[in-house]
Amino acid sequence: MKSDFSQPQRQSLIGIVVMFGDALQGSVRAFLPILLITVVQGKTNAAYLWGSGALILVLTLVIGYLNYLNFSFFIDEDSAEFVVRKGILKKTRIGIPLGKIQQVNINQSLLQKIVGVHALEVDTAGSNKKEVTIKAISHEHALILKDRLLQGTDRVGEEGYDNEIVPAQKEQHAFIKISLLSLLKTGITSNYVRSFGILLAFFISTLQHIDDYLKFTGINDDLVDEYVNTDVLLRFVSFIIGAIIFLTLMVNLVRTVIRYYNFRVTKQQNSLLLSHGLISTRNTIIRPGKVQIVTVGRNYFQKKFNINDVKVRQASDLDADKEQKKSAIEIPGCSNAEKDKLLEFLLDKMPERGFKVKPNFRKMIFESFKFLLIPVGLFFLFAKYAVPEAMDFIIFVPIYAVFVGILIYFAFRNSRLFITPDFIVKQSGAWDIDNDFIAPHKIQALKLTQFFWQKGSDVGIVNLYTAGGTVSFGLSNFTQLKKLVNYWLYQVESTEKNWM
Amino acid sequence: MEQPFTNETIDTLQLPQFEDAELTPIHSSYLTVVWINIAVIFGIIAIVAGVGFYFIQELHTKWLAITLAYVVILLLTIVVQVISFKNKAFAFRTHDVIYRSGAIATTTTIIPYNRVQHVAQHEGVLSRWLGLASVEVFTAGATGSDITIPGLEKDHAIAIKHLLVGKIQNQQANEE
Repeated sequence: MKSDFSQPQRQSLIGIVVMFGDALQGSVRAFLPILLITVVQGKTNAAYLWGSGALILVLTLVIGYLNYLNFSFFIDEDSAEFVVRKGILKKTRIGIPLGKIQQVNINQSLLQKIVGVHALEVDTAGSNKKEVTIKAISHEHALILKDRLLQGTDRVGEEGYDNEIVPAQKEQHAFIKISLLSLLKTGITSNYVRSFGILLAFFISTLQHIDDYLKFTGINDDLVDEYVNTDVLLRFVSFIIGAIIFLTLMVNLVRTVIRYYNFRVTKQQNSLLLSHGLISTRNTIIRPGKVQIVTVGRNYFQKKFNINDVKVRQASDLDADKEQKKSAIEIPGCSNAEKDKLLEFLLDKMPERGFKVKPNFRKMIFESFKFLLIPVGLFFLFAKYAVPEAMDFIIFVPIYAVFVGILIYFAFRNSRLFITPDFIVKQSGAWDIDNDFIAPHKIQALKLTQFFWQKGSDVGIVNLYTAGGTVSFGLSNFTQLKKLVNYWLYQVESTEKNWM
Repeated sequence: MEQPFTNETIDTLQLPQFEDAELTPIHSSYLTVVWINIAVIFGIIAIVAGVGFYFIQELHTKWLAITLAYVVILLLTIVVQVISFKNKAFAFRTHDVIYRSGAIATTTTIIPYNRVQHVAQHEGVLSRWLGLASVEVFTAGATGSDITIPGLEKDHAIAIKHLLVGKIQNQQANEE
């Protein structure tokens, strides 16, 4: 095959394997419930089951092959369209005008990695779902096709950017490359709370099971109690805590490495291309114009290790609520220098911290009420009226109170808003300290909130709405917040810059 | 570091202040809508409670507590709804729209015209009967950033809609 896309062509031959895989996945999904039900009922004999299984497998293979035969794509130079034909019985022809193509992603799943092909997705402005996916195409072929498809985009004008074809070699030059070491550092220093919670729940339910088992088998409780004296219990508890900490670290480590292995950020024309993943490779494009909020986060350990976690929120397509969460793109394990490079590219210039706004001490009172008084009160009510056994857990109340109290205090100490003419920076967090960077012209709406009892003390909350999410700051001096709102309004209303 | 902002502090004092804008309260007939809504909801609750009393014997001993709770919640609702009605007010300035609402917490939302995505006009059954309509202003911001101004006279609502649509089109014309 030549790099000439004007003639209809099929996918890579080896791609049949991928088609088989896909069709197989489809039939497994369709037939698994039926299969499970028959097996559970246990009335059918094995031969019948195997027979139908084999039949389904053969059918699947045939469908996979026919899918391969009937799938073709080409670029229609006359009408400037990218055309895909597919379908076995119901024939579909999809034509995408080249100018409408927003982005082209090259991905690789595990199966595709094994057979050495890539998937090419074409995304248009029209809808939020991927319009067209070519499931099996060789890498160099994919790159050429991608360049060819995106040429059309440039013609229609991404703010008149120079129309140069990026040669395949240029992709190899990475803007930022996250090493395995940085990933390992990120893995052991992040997401403690989530993994810890999951594991704690797991251990508690296991203990519960053991307890039930002991009762069920009728082992004498006294005997167990005698055997399990304080010393053993202490050792057991410390073992469990040790195990949880160890497992938390391992789970985080493995998850981070699998997800972000070989993380590369490449500069492509006016945007950044991210690619990462051990088992399946993911590609994401960041366009600086679409970026709404950039968050840089790190905790105490990460500061010592010189790594930062950068999150980028882009404007979601207007009707894509589900995509909104997905659009927080994470770049883990950036060093300070890499972080600065990213910020400068995404935000046009290096943000400074500028004028500082502090929260009011009433923020701590308000949060203690929300996270201490109400939960503890509910616990006692619950224990008193509903489940008296809950009183056994009363030891956890002071532990919880101290823990939450410390978090509230540090969250208060870290809560800051920094304002310069070009940026709004919100710093927050108790352990993981996040800095949200917003350019004022990205603001969509502003909201001030004040409870009636806060009028006397002149405190309140401000919300800044952007197309990539909301940033909220407070409690803080309300008069000052109003001044800031007036200032930001002035900035939004007088700016020539568009938010996207 | 501090310098860029001190530049602006002088400016901020001269900037127009949204809190000085004179807010227009919503139309007084909207209070009727509020009353009817309360009456319908609490009427339904009363009917359900009545049926419950009729069929479930055990409830009879607790009639005082239930009635008291009902009355307290009803009174609270009325107070909150009336304050909330009085608090609802809006203003259209040259460059943005301001909407204030809320009873327990007062919120003021401000949307600059150059960030308005589209405008919708709604009429409920009750509102139509009273000749009222509401206008909803959408932005591209996350949920919570849109505002709905209820209790506008229908002509007023249409006028507002035209105003906003005109502003949006002006904006787009300027960009091109």
